[in-house]
Amino acid sequence: MNFLRQFLALLRMSLSGVTQRPGAVLTIIIGVTSAVAVLVSMLAMGSGARRQVLAGVHDDRVVVNSHGASGIQSSIPRDEADTVRDLPGIKKGSDGKPDVDFQSIVVIEAHRRITGRRTFFPLIGVTRPPFIDAQSDLHLTEGRSFRPGLHELIATTPCVRQFTGFAIGDKRPIGGADWTIVGHYDQKDVQQCVVLADAEILMSTFNSNTYTQATATLRSVADYGEVQRALEQNPSLHLEVKHEAEAREEGIRQLNGLLNFAAYFVGSIMAIGATLGAVNSLYSIVDSRRREIATLRAIGFGSAPVAASILCESILLALPGALLGVALAWALFHRMAISPFGFSFLLDVTPQLAVIGVVWALAMGLIGGLLPAVRAARVPVTTALRAA
Amino acid sequence: MKYLPLIWSGLWRKPGRTVLIFLQVAVAFALFGVLQGLKTGVAHAVAAARADLLIVHSRLSFIMQSLPSGLLGQIRAVPGVKMAIPVELTFGTYQKPDQGIGVVAVTPDEDWQSAFTYTIPPEYLAAFRKSRTAMLVRDVVAEKYHWKIGDHIPLQLPVAQHNGSSDWAFDVVGTFTDSDIGGGRYIVLVSYPYFDEARAAKKGTVNHFNVTVSDPKLAPQVADAIDARFVNSSHETKTESLREMAQSSMQAIGDFDFLIRAVVGAVLVALLFATTTMMAQSIHERIPELAVVKTLGFTDRAVFLLILAEALVVFLAGAVCGLLLATLTLPLAARFVHGLSMPGIVVAMGLALGILVALVSASIPAALAARLRVATALAGHRAA
Repeated sequence: MNFLRQFLALLRMSLSGVTQRPGAVLTIIIGVTSAVAVLVSMLAMGSGARRQVLAGVHDDRVVVNSHGASGIQSSIPRDEADTVRDLPGIKKGSDGKPDVDFQSIVVIEAHRRITGRRTFFPLIGVTRPPFIDAQSDLHLTEGRSFRPGLHELIATTPCVRQFTGFAIGDKRPIGGADWTIVGHYDQKDVQQCVVLADAEILMSTFNSNTYTQATATLRSVADYGEVQRALEQNPSLHLEVKHEAEAREEGIRQLNGLLNFAAYFVGSIMAIGATLGAVNSLYSIVDSRRREIATLRAIGFGSAPVAASILCESILLALPGALLGVALAWALFHRMAISPFGFSFLLDVTPQLAVIGVVWALAMGLIGGLLPAVRAARVPVTTALRAA
Repeated sequence: MKYLPLIWSGLWRKPGRTVLIFLQVAVAFALFGVLQGLKTGVAHAVAAARADLLIVHSRLSFIMQSLPSGLLGQIRAVPGVKMAIPVELTFGTYQKPDQGIGVVAVTPDEDWQSAFTYTIPPEYLAAFRKSRTAMLVRDVVAEKYHWKIGDHIPLQLPVAQHNGSSDWAFDVVGTFTDSDIGGGRYIVLVSYPYFDEARAAKKGTVNHFNVTVSDPKLAPQVADAIDARFVNSSHETKTESLREMAQSSMQAIGDFDFLIRAVVGAVLVALLFATTTMMAQSIHERIPELAVVKTLGFTDRAVFLLILAEALVVFLAGAVCGLLLATLTLPLAARFVHGLSMPGIVVAMGLALGILVALVSASIPAALAARLRVATALAGHRAA
């Protein structure tokens, strides 16, 4: 009880002196702010990429790939595709056919609007016409859908924004044929340029006889095991099934790892710098208060409350830096569009990231306050008073 | 020179503070070095990529589409072409599905390696040409899986052999290094004639051709001539130099420019502020001493320069240590960008920046010190 009373009194004294030491206090706040802002905005890349990839994922949807492969390395021959269509546990669509969509993915070049630089985007041939299901995430914003059997494409609105040659009526030479853009569509928050076409015409253009992968809707989430068993028990198939979320996360695991590594690497170095600055500032605060602390000690304050109050002051000074840093990251970078490695998404400053930023700042305050707190507790009472 | 002891004693007046400032500067410049080094290093690596090595691939799609190997004769007939080597690519796995291996099948003609970015010792080259099932392994692959020369390595490839099996096996005959920044990391080289003969489907096709030109200056014209040869044919080609390809594969880093600039900016602002206040605090505490120094006959200018010199010493020492640290850590980033090393220009930029920040952050405290009036400083130092 005594400790607590002394501690609170000391803390009140320290904080009332804040305005007399603007330099030292601002050094701590600015250092922490920049470290937290950088960490949070860099982590926002990873969370933005993840959010984009997981947008529109359904629990009851599964992805079928060839064994051990993902993305464009996967391939499903036509004869195996028939087996997939007849798998148990798959829902029937509104047209009475199994709700299975086979996709043939081709990577195509595009050129950026402003820089004219080349980048790649996926052209996906689908066997199930889009927009037929009312619950579909896809929304046609302009034009119409492609007609099966024709060289027609529909593109997401980000394609139009980022690249040249995606206006309705534009023709793109792909695989020796001219393809016409006939519609634009949106898919929730997705920033990636994706172009859809009829799978059969795309495969005949590219002389291919295999689909890349399949997505299927299950009758219910519980039917996953049934599909998995059916695939495993058929030795002629080289296919495996994954939940949609799992399959999509696999696709960005490497990118996410890289982004998070960079964020924590840079964030840690900046945190070390900010902590060093905090130590220096707190040392100078303690030094300038030597007489005050010695006096307090002389009239009966213990060394533990003195140390605790300095530590607490350090943490309290780091806190506004943390909030400011998160606010800055949010104001400057939240929902900003970037496209590293040809993958476009919006930065996403989530509440979880804000919490990470605050925890990070509190750690800086705690570590930065340790040594100065010890020094404050060790102020030799008699010499400090005599020097005054 | 005679001022050195004075600067030195000024620095060590409060050793703790000086060391902390030094560490802060070192940390800031280590970060600057890594970020700026990454950016400039990538630009240098792209500039160093061979512009005289052309890659002829299908105009349809570089990744998916193959070309008939029969185009080889026509490519070789294009004026200016020195050598053309067919290259087939496939992506397999070793033992586990997550242990991917890029398989590059090449025709080991005489001197074929000059059309690649690989460095291969002559004895390994000879061994590779001698055996049909020979495999050359990139050094990082051999290290990762502990493969040795003479090992018989099974690989699972998405390519069926005549007997329907997709289990392949090759004999390790040597290792090689790769200087290409855009290429795969875990790659092995095998013989294209053997690979093509053994596979059941897609016979006689390749992914691309590697072409060297007799006059590097004419590389763009040769590239256009090759593409012109196949225009309107069923196999239209697109020919690019390795440098152009490196440019497009590394442009992703360019997208991070804004971020690198923002981070470096934040680091420098925080550093500038921290050091300025520390210097001001230090000057404040030393008012009586500075007054004594002035009484002894130091001019205002001398005191000003003295304070600047102190800051310069700490900052330069910190910047040198930080940049050294960055130079040592940057090769770790070669995990993501092959062959990255610290460009000298970044070190020079860092040192210049260090001097600049030192002068800016010390100038206000130094000016304060220079303008001290001896009488008031000596008399009122308690109140100060």
